[in-house]
Amino acid sequence: MSKLIRLTIQRQDARESHPYAQTFEIEHKPQMNVISCLQDIAARPVTVAGEQTTPVAWDCNCLEEVCGACTMVINGRVRQACTALVDNLLKEQATIDLKPMSKFPVVRDLFVDRSRMFAALKKVRAWIDVDTYGYLGEGPKVEPSVADRRYELSCCMTCGCCMDVCPQVNDGSDFIGPQAIGQAALFNMHPTGAMSADQRLEALMGPGGITDCGNAQNCVKACPKEVPLTWAIGKTGRDTTVHAIRRWFVK
Amino acid sequence: MTQPVETWFQKNHFLVRRLHSLAGIVPIGVFLCIHLYTNSLAFVGPEKFNEHVKQLHEIPNLLVVELIGIFLPIAFHAWYGILIAQSGRINVAQYGWLDNWRYTLQRVTGWIAIVFILLHLAHFRFAHWFGGPAYQEVVAKGTTPFDLTAAGFIMWLPMGLWMLVYAVGLTASVYHFCNGIVTFCITWGITVNDLSRKRVSIAAAALAIVLLGFGLSSLAALASGPAPKATAALLNP
Ligand code: SF4
Ligand code: SF4
Ligand code: FES
Repeated sequence: MSKLIRLTIQRQDARESHPYAQTFEIEHKPQMNVISCLQDIAARPVTVAGEQTTPVAWDCNCLEEVCGACTMVINGRVRQACTALVDNLLKEQATIDLKPMSKFPVVRDLFVDRSRMFAALKKVRAWIDVDTYGYLGEGPKVEPSVADRRYELSCCMTCGCCMDVCPQVNDGSDFIGPQAIGQAALFNMHPTGAMSADQRLEALMGPGGITDCGNAQNCVKACPKEVPLTWAIGKTGRDTTVHAIRRWFVK
Repeated sequence: MTQPVETWFQKNHFLVRRLHSLAGIVPIGVFLCIHLYTNSLAFVGPEKFNEHVKQLHEIPNLLVVELIGIFLPIAFHAWYGILIAQSGRINVAQYGWLDNWRYTLQRVTGWIAIVFILLHLAHFRFAHWFGGPAYQEVVAKGTTPFDLTAAGFIMWLPMGLWMLVYAVGLTASVYHFCNGIVTFCITWGITVNDLSRKRVSIAAAALAIVLLGFGLSSLAALASGPAPKATAALLNP
């Protein structure tokens, strides 16, 4: 006789509709993760109360924690569904609890719209300006320590964990959030990107920019990719301070 | 009317935020240190305390100095701080990390400090406005600052309650200032890496202990000093 596991899932039929909870029971299999649970539920969408319902909607892609699409709040903590192993989750609590991320509009059920993070990347010009794809010769040398830091920053997968745990990111504030600050820092450290550093800093100095961070430092603890977010915030704090002084007194 | 003001604040968002951060350290934090040091002299002895308070009162144009040097900065820091506090959604119940507690406490202590400072101003600094004629009478008698302050702790409320109010207000203000030093250093980009933040946190905690020591010892001294019965009787007719 195989073991049954229980999941309580927050459902929401459309963007503006009210969320409600449903509980499902599925058979336990070895090595299960949250995505495979959702697949099993989709195969037989019947609640514990015996009610026939629609399959739960969710988003995923890579299934190896590099795309960030499957991010949701699992047992009260935001993380990726694909690497959330059921056996570990059951050690946390008896019934697995799934909710969509809280700082993004819900498209349906566990599927959220993360486009605000892509808008934020545009706002801070998180790219390198190139006007040709032709060979320009060797680029400048980069110190290994700088390259290492840039590598860490470049691991961001735009998943939204840091946004979801940030108390300053919410529907009553226009704070851009830690993810874009991390990426602005990344591109400001690139030899070519540094040429437009001022534009990135300016974009982060207005309302909703770097100053709206409250230093709760939740972001860095929640980031599954260990992106050095608080370092990026401190560095951007310093760079904007220097930039402001230069703007007021030098330029 | 609100439109141009709003846009001015938006245009100068960075400046205003940085000024808010700066004001918390200079002048407010510096004032807090000096103020608590002066108070601690009450513990050393009433004469020392009286002497120091007299010196302070001799500052020319005291009210103007206070207004520009401390009241306006506090008013700005408090008003803008309230706006900032309202922009956050506390989630420490869900994510109980230490730094998140510090963030939360920074907001809670800010609220406590605002209420406490208003009460404290009415209670001591502007007691001659709120204390009524009895207060004027006591002052006219040439009562020393120490006795007057000690008597203040039995005016309006029983002393035990005053001590509680002051201990809470003092602790909240000291926490808000010392944790504020840590966030100030992050905000301005002085401490960028984790280790430097840890070091500043330790230094700020040490300062908090010293300031609390100053504050609490002065409270103890004022509470246990020879209670000026006559003054108290006048204040509590
Ligand atoms: S910084 Fe980390 S938590 Fe934030 S979006 Fe990128 S990967 Fe996710
Ligand atoms: S440090 Fe700033 S960005 Fe990170 S969680 Fe805290 S408030 Fe948000
Ligand atoms: S599916 Fe890509 S991170 Fe989970």
